[in-house]
Amino acid sequence: MRKIIFLVTVFFFITGLLSTSEIWAQKEKGKPKLLRLTFYYPVGVAGPLARVIGEMTDKFNKEHEGRIEVVPVYSGDYDPTMQKVQTAIMAGNPPDIFMVEISELPTLLAMDSVLSLDDYVKKLGKEYWDDFFPPFRENAVIGGKVYGIPFQRSTPVLYWNKEVFKAAGLDPEKPPKTWNELKDYATKLTVRDAKSGDVKQWGVTISGGWNDWLFEAFVRQNGSFLISADGLTANFDSKESIEALDFWVELKHRLKVGPPHSTWGSTPPDFVGGRTALLYHSTGILTFLKRSAKFDFGVTFMPQKKTFGAAVGGANLMIAKKIPKERQEAAWKYIEWMSNVKNTAEWSAASGYVAVRQSAYDDPVMKEHVSKNPEYLVARDQLKFAHGKMMAKNFQKVREILKRQLDDSAAGKIVPAEALKIAQKEIQAVIK
Amino acid sequence: MRTQRLTSYSYLLLGLFFMGVFTFIPVFLSAYLSLFRWNVSSPEPAFTWFSNYLEVFKAPLFWLVLRNNFIYAFTTIPVSMCLALFLAILVNQKMGTIKSFYRVSLFYPTMIPMVAAAMLWVWIFNPGLGIFNYYLGFLGVPRIEWLYDMRYALIAIIIMSIWKNFGYYMLIFLAGLQSIPNHYYEAAAIEGAGGWKKFRYITLPMLAPATLFVFVVAIISSFQVFDQVFIMTQGGPGDRTNVLVFYIYQHAFRFWDLGMGSTLTTLFILGLLFAIWLVFRVIGRKVYYEV
Amino acid sequence: MKFNRNFRHRTGLHLALMLVSLITVAPYLWILSTSLKFRTEVFTPTPKWIPWPINIQNYLEMFEMAPFHLYLINTIIVVTGILAVQLVTITLAAYVFARRNFWGKEFFFFLFLIQMMIPIHATFLPNFLTLKNFNLLNTRIAMMLPFFASGYGTFLLRQAFRQIPRSLEDAAVIDGCGGLRFLWHVLIPLAKPTLIAFSIISIVSHWNDYLWPLIVTDTPEVRTLTIGLGMFVQQESGADWTLLMAATAFVTAPMMIFFLVFQKKFVESFMLSGMKG
Repeated sequence: MRKIIFLVTVFFFITGLLSTSEIWAQKEKGKPKLLRLTFYYPVGVAGPLARVIGEMTDKFNKEHEGRIEVVPVYSGDYDPTMQKVQTAIMAGNPPDIFMVEISELPTLLAMDSVLSLDDYVKKLGKEYWDDFFPPFRENAVIGGKVYGIPFQRSTPVLYWNKEVFKAAGLDPEKPPKTWNELKDYATKLTVRDAKSGDVKQWGVTISGGWNDWLFEAFVRQNGSFLISADGLTANFDSKESIEALDFWVELKHRLKVGPPHSTWGSTPPDFVGGRTALLYHSTGILTFLKRSAKFDFGVTFMPQKKTFGAAVGGANLMIAKKIPKERQEAAWKYIEWMSNVKNTAEWSAASGYVAVRQSAYDDPVMKEHVSKNPEYLVARDQLKFAHGKMMAKNFQKVREILKRQLDDSAAGKIVPAEALKIAQKEIQAVIK
Repeated sequence: MRTQRLTSYSYLLLGLFFMGVFTFIPVFLSAYLSLFRWNVSSPEPAFTWFSNYLEVFKAPLFWLVLRNNFIYAFTTIPVSMCLALFLAILVNQKMGTIKSFYRVSLFYPTMIPMVAAAMLWVWIFNPGLGIFNYYLGFLGVPRIEWLYDMRYALIAIIIMSIWKNFGYYMLIFLAGLQSIPNHYYEAAAIEGAGGWKKFRYITLPMLAPATLFVFVVAIISSFQVFDQVFIMTQGGPGDRTNVLVFYIYQHAFRFWDLGMGSTLTTLFILGLLFAIWLVFRVIGRKVYYEV
Repeated sequence: MKFNRNFRHRTGLHLALMLVSLITVAPYLWILSTSLKFRTEVFTPTPKWIPWPINIQNYLEMFEMAPFHLYLINTIIVVTGILAVQLVTITLAAYVFARRNFWGKEFFFFLFLIQMMIPIHATFLPNFLTLKNFNLLNTRIAMMLPFFASGYGTFLLRQAFRQIPRSLEDAAVIDGCGGLRFLWHVLIPLAKPTLIAFSIISIVSHWNDYLWPLIVTDTPEVRTLTIGLGMFVQQESGADWTLLMAATAFVTAPMMIFFLVFQKKFVESFMLSGMKG
């Protein structure tokens, strides 16, 4: 027995060593002319999409056989991807192409690690760059220079469960359009256990985890912003922001028609399981909801106060700065190819993300997709009212500071004006 | 004697080599970098003596994180150790094949990858859809919002971690129990000692080494808790589940603040070393382990 | 009378064990049950333990997503590779720490202890750099190297060695069986339960490593099971629960079977050495 285990162990160990050297050998053997590029990507929608990226890349590689080979590297969710990119950059071994959450751009720039794509974009002319939806472009540009190409992009929307609308005596085809209606509907839709008072069904869930992103949308709906476009001035304690946070506190704490906190990943199941009648979440979960929900539901704009409004989200394609020129050129070829009309349409149809280019919606693949599933158009239409997401240096710190205050306010631990004053002070100090 | 000393060193060499390259170089690097300001605002490292350390102690969040971690440690350690010891004793009794079932079902949580286990527990703790609240409801416990509630989120993480870790400790106790010679018990039985007496005067003292070991391991692992927090709550709501390693992670990999990340790492290691030293000082000697 | 007491004792024992086992095992049953459900059957307000209609498709779909067979082989190679080297390094080190006296012993032991305390995340960046310099990125060996020495195992084994009476060694030396031969012929067999316990712990924890393998590897040819599993866990869109659970069941299955089959063996060896010690 012992001998067998020993032999097996030795066997595996040796094969392990051999196969590593095999990979070295392969690396050395590559013909000198072939450029092998690595591409780190997070795929924000479940599993199958990793394969979609693979298939698209294969097509590209075939077209450029013998010259360029892009190796797509699945690198986990947004956070692990950022970590992988960062580790690689710090170690002087950056991936040639990468896709990270949009608000990381100023930080990446401060570390001098992204290439300006200005010249490439200019070469393609106006028809290329202007075809991207304007709010998506915002997060790709800093100081007038383009650093990223929109690809995997989303916005938050409002989902509503038509069946529980009926049960509460509301018109299932009429979702709330304004904050007041939202409050009113949410109150009517909240169902409590008669005896214990436990909530059986929340009226509205404003998802936690990325609640900073949702909060920005509320501030936009109230006609204000959180950080100036140049990323230098914080504006967290404006009258409009305080009003927006106070509205949250009203829903979550005073009226108790929504959970005060939640996690980003568990609210879509809440919606599918009938635990919440209305849900604020990313467009990214639409496919998940369609596949999992047994009931009829709708997607609509987030309700307005002064105006409809949203902050866009998602990830852009970028090229590392500290790689040889020829690799940059090859990387750009790939990005240009991935962001052509046909591919953006294909990606959107497969993933449920918004197609980043306006003309993609005239593509036959896309036309067929949206004619079958018109709810995928809601996020696109909402883009008319959407803005770029706030961006600033040290954005992750900004997020943590803001989230802390949002969570404390929702628990009734601090009043909105006070909370946002703290946020303003701390955030201004980190972004300057 | 001289040759013996030389061979002693040579036996250590292999382990020390790997440790040196993959543990101590990073540790010394952290200690060194902790004296620099190196973050997004100053991308070129700037030597600033101990200002990072001052900054750590000045941040109120650091103290909250420390508090959370101590709560976590002081609940998970005693609960999972007692549970592990108790169950190890039960499983150690003579019984039929059902023993295998018990052993497997108590130990398996240790074998599940944290990535999946944490996701699963997010769902189990879901206030309306999760099985946890559903069955607690039968026991008449009023509904708790767990991860959706600042007051309970850390408790949820604690419960999950106990489930995940106590099997480890049980296994070590089990190994310890089985190395207690049976004739001790036989002798005690002849002298008419009852179950409690046997436990108190034979089992417990004989298990002292195993207990010390479990205790040390539990302290270390309870301060290294990370994955659960990373996947289940990201430190939220309102930093109420933020713990030390997650805090380090935030600085090093979210904020790109390598100076602060290194400072926190250095403090973390020093703190843990002190704790372990204390354990050996106070308890270790009694358990005939001189360090 | 005696029978009665014994009977009550037995019932109590089994009741207690049964209760705790059921609680701990429920999450796993839940994984299995969910892995066989249709997506629309997953989130129900009252738990549905029996998946009906059964959907085996999830397992097939999961295999289509990523080369799980490759991941499985890689995981086995990585885990056994780590363990094999660890066993050598920890036995040698534990032996000298337990049995020898030399200058700097306490200092070195202290170093080994520290290693247990280092949060792995603190070592990511420097270790990545080291591996890059040795041109070892994206290899299986990269996932193993940082774990070849184990302070934990050394500590565990040192304690076991110390429990073996000194007189045994003196006797062995007189018989001409000192040094390594004593280690191999006497100490290791006597410390077998500890070695086994450590092996289980090492296998389990490295079977489940996630972030480090994700960071140092790029291609499916060298990647491990947990990375495949991670593909079903997604922040923005929520997880694909049925597939995630199917993948979890698959990823844990080898460990579960391994433990189920060998647990008797483990325990037996525990017993044997227990009697000797």
